[in-house]
Amino acid sequence: MKDLLRLKTSLTEEIEAVLNDQIRKEAHSSALYLAMASWCDRNGFDNSADHFYKQSDEERQHMLKIFKYVLDLGGTAVSPTILDVKFEFNSFREVFEEALEQEVLITQSINNIVDKCHKAKDYMTVEFMNWFLNEQKEEEYVARRALELFDVIGEEGTGRWEIDHQIPKIKYE
Amino acid sequence: MILKEKRNTILEEVFRTEAGCVYQSDVENCFYVDFGGRAIKFSILCFFRLKTLVDKVNLPDMAACPERSSDIEIISPCACEHCYVLTLAEIAALKELLAGAKVMLELNSILKERLCRLVK
Ligand SMILES: [Fe+2]
Ligand SMILES: [Fe+2]
Repeated sequence: MKDLLRLKTSLTEEIEAVLNDQIRKEAHSSALYLAMASWCDRNGFDNSADHFYKQSDEERQHMLKIFKYVLDLGGTAVSPTILDVKFEFNSFREVFEEALEQEVLITQSINNIVDKCHKAKDYMTVEFMNWFLNEQKEEEYVARRALELFDVIGEEGTGRWEIDHQIPKIKYE
Repeated sequence: MILKEKRNTILEEVFRTEAGCVYQSDVENCFYVDFGGRAIKFSILCFFRLKTLVDKVNLPDMAACPERSSDIEIISPCACEHCYVLTLAEIAALKELLAGAKVMLELNSILKERLCRLVK
């Protein structure tokens, strides 16, 4: 009997499922950042709004990267449905706290995938996910840096205006 | 069973239960699911799509729901021309059949890897 399973795809059903789950999470990140951009825009933080528009685009690119990987390996990539995207925040600071929280969640999720891949001996996907681990290093750095500005600059007086102007200057090098 | 008649493709039995049987065709690279009085041909992708859909059905929820329409579930994988209209018991049986088939396919995969590919 031919090994039809392997002929069609090198992804196991389980790995395909966790990758589709990650596709959904990246799409959710993208939607969440868009909501954050909306909040910042509405409240007069134009630079932060731009920052989150860019983040939102990046997350969509992450989603597509996994999407195409699944298809390239003969699997089925599922276009995700995104529900319950938070769009109200209590403060400028809370937006950035949530952004960092979201990045931490994504890092954990990617760690879990790599863990599952090792168990399934799917080293091809481990190699693929390495790019995401590196990306998370940068993403967490930027999110943490942004939040630190609130302590360094302080929110009193024109503090928030100043923070908004420092946000675009954060770079990971 | 439906598939007793002669076909021009040789079918190998993957897994059988009381309720049905899954066959593989090495010539056509596809599966035949003989279940509920019909044998339906599935491509590899459609076969796993079918399994995903069947696994998604939550049997306890279905049993607990008082509406008449929840007695049956319609499953049409991959826009195939075929669809299944199944009762709760039938879904349980199909779940078992497909899960068993998947284990056998994985076993076949492992055997191929260990016995054939690795020694080449
Ligand atoms: Fe991401
Ligand atoms: Fe991110």
